[in-house]
Amino acid sequence: MSKAMSLISELAYAGQRPKDSILKAMNETGKKSVGCFPIYTPEELIYAAEMLPVGMWGGQTVGTLADRYLQGFCCSIMKANTEQALLGQYDFLSAVIVTAYCDTLKCMIENWKIASPQLNLIPMVYPQNRKIPAGKEYLRDEFLRVKKELERISGKKITDQEIQKSVDLYDEYRRTMQEFSDLVKDYPDMLKAKTRHLILKASYFMDKRIYTEKVRELILELSKLPRENAFGRKKIILSGLIAEPDGILDIMTENGMVVVADDLAHGARQFRTIAPDTGDGLNRMVERVAMQDGCAFLYDEKKTRAAMLIQMKEKYQADAVIVCQMKFCDPEEFDYPIIKKELEGAGIPSLYIEIEQQMDSLEQLRTRIQSFSEMLA
Amino acid sequence: MYLGVDIGSSSSKAVLINRAGMVCGEGIVNIGTGSKGPQISVEQALRQAGIQRCDVRKCVVTGYGRLMYEGADRQITEISCHAKGVKFLWPTASTIIDIGGQDAKVIRVSINGIVENFVMNEKCAAGTGRFLEVMARVLDCRIEDLSGLAARGNPGVVISNTCTVFAESEVISQLAAGMSIEDVALGAHKSIAQRIAGLCNRIGIADAVVMTGGVALNHNVVTAIEKEIHHPIIRLEDPQAMGALGAAIFAREMEAGNS
Repeated sequence: MSKAMSLISELAYAGQRPKDSILKAMNETGKKSVGCFPIYTPEELIYAAEMLPVGMWGGQTVGTLADRYLQGFCCSIMKANTEQALLGQYDFLSAVIVTAYCDTLKCMIENWKIASPQLNLIPMVYPQNRKIPAGKEYLRDEFLRVKKELERISGKKITDQEIQKSVDLYDEYRRTMQEFSDLVKDYPDMLKAKTRHLILKASYFMDKRIYTEKVRELILELSKLPRENAFGRKKIILSGLIAEPDGILDIMTENGMVVVADDLAHGARQFRTIAPDTGDGLNRMVERVAMQDGCAFLYDEKKTRAAMLIQMKEKYQADAVIVCQMKFCDPEEFDYPIIKKELEGAGIPSLYIEIEQQMDSLEQLRTRIQSFSEMLA
Repeated sequence: MYLGVDIGSSSSKAVLINRAGMVCGEGIVNIGTGSKGPQISVEQALRQAGIQRCDVRKCVVTGYGRLMYEGADRQITEISCHAKGVKFLWPTASTIIDIGGQDAKVIRVSINGIVENFVMNEKCAAGTGRFLEVMARVLDCRIEDLSGLAARGNPGVVISNTCTVFAESEVISQLAAGMSIEDVALGAHKSIAQRIAGLCNRIGIADAVVMTGGVALNHNVVTAIEKEIHHPIIRLEDPQAMGALGAAIFAREMEAGNS
């Protein structure tokens, strides 16, 4: 096995086994871990507190315990997270940060305080107007409040120098991921859609420094290899919250598709904006949030997401966009009509697929994806 | 000869065409994937054409059960196959409404037969053949009698078009409230028509509109859809076989090397 393949396997394995990977990271680093709910949490502060930020993006868990707190119309990620919390699966976490991006998340915060008090819940609200001075001041205060909570939990004072160092590390991670993401189109066999997804997913369960070093090494190893033949494949851009269950990615590969870029909240939205190098660590974090656009979860009065997708299509010479709509995710649903209209206006084919993380039958989606592939041929 | 097999959720269809594109054999069996239906439909088509399986030069399979069928040279989705079959018979078709056992699809095709866009129903069986099966069971009639019953009904009964299970409860309530079976049958057809009109609105409608799939055999449903979408619908003689015909044409093109 080549060095590149060995790194790919290692990272994909880590992405496939969240709990094992987190426990391994905790064991290796001796750090405590803090759960991070979707979509964005101030991971830099957790890392500065010498703890591990770990992603909590649902899973395949299906049960009935979560029904005590969540209605049938809540998204499958929140249901899975709540079920796992009630089963005690998260009890190894020292705290959980929940950000209130949607109505379900707002209710989750109050429910979890009662349902799982042992999890040290830290709620957080991002400002609607994140680009104006008042919004930035508010966000800085929110970060300070979270910082205080993390100091209490870790028993460690977080200095600005540590935050600066953490932001630097996260920016290095983001630059590395941008570079990695751009490489995928040249290696469509080694980095099939699911493999790409699992490598990106591993970032949620590993120490960011170690993860970034591994991906950096992978980029180096890939650069030594000749580009793979991508002739005849359909180049796809994914948009939406998350492309899970990952069986849909296998269906895309089976139908000659390669994911050349994404606009997924679980994927590239985590790393496409770099913090500016001005002010203290908290200021850099605040400004980064203000700069991030094209995301359904951060109020964007100019509605730039569709224009961004059109630019991505040009940049990656993509053939089409597939919108992975998580069922009952209303922030994403609000964006879709605009995206559809603008993509149609630009003559870009798009496919809308509605997904739930715990779907066990993907056959109807198979027909849709295969038909779309046949349409693009 | 070229064989096309369409394995749906509730029926299996097979069509054999010759090099000139003429249909030489056809088999339709009302049992679908996971059953002996595909095999029986192919045997029927072979018998009608008077040939053996070894005389088939290429075979393309489509439909929900396409991945399970052994002996196909290629599998292609029913969306592409219905478009291919319809354009072969009706070259001016621009919109295809295909309602099968558990799926409803609206397909837009270009003048040269390319699928431009499509929409499908979500998981729920509302607006599909399964919905009609449930209605027939509740109304205690055969599915093929629904069209005649609805033709004698008076409008006014409203049945949910969002969920088959809710619709079933509503039908029982309507019958309990004294509504006639005919009126309820008409209400059920209108419910399907509204669901399909919703799909059509998502994708846009252009004439000529052609309807395929087993539900197209129910003339009252076709009329109800025409009223909802405000476009006339072309009624093909053999709407159920369009997917299999399209698959057979793809098989012929495969050998010609232009597929």
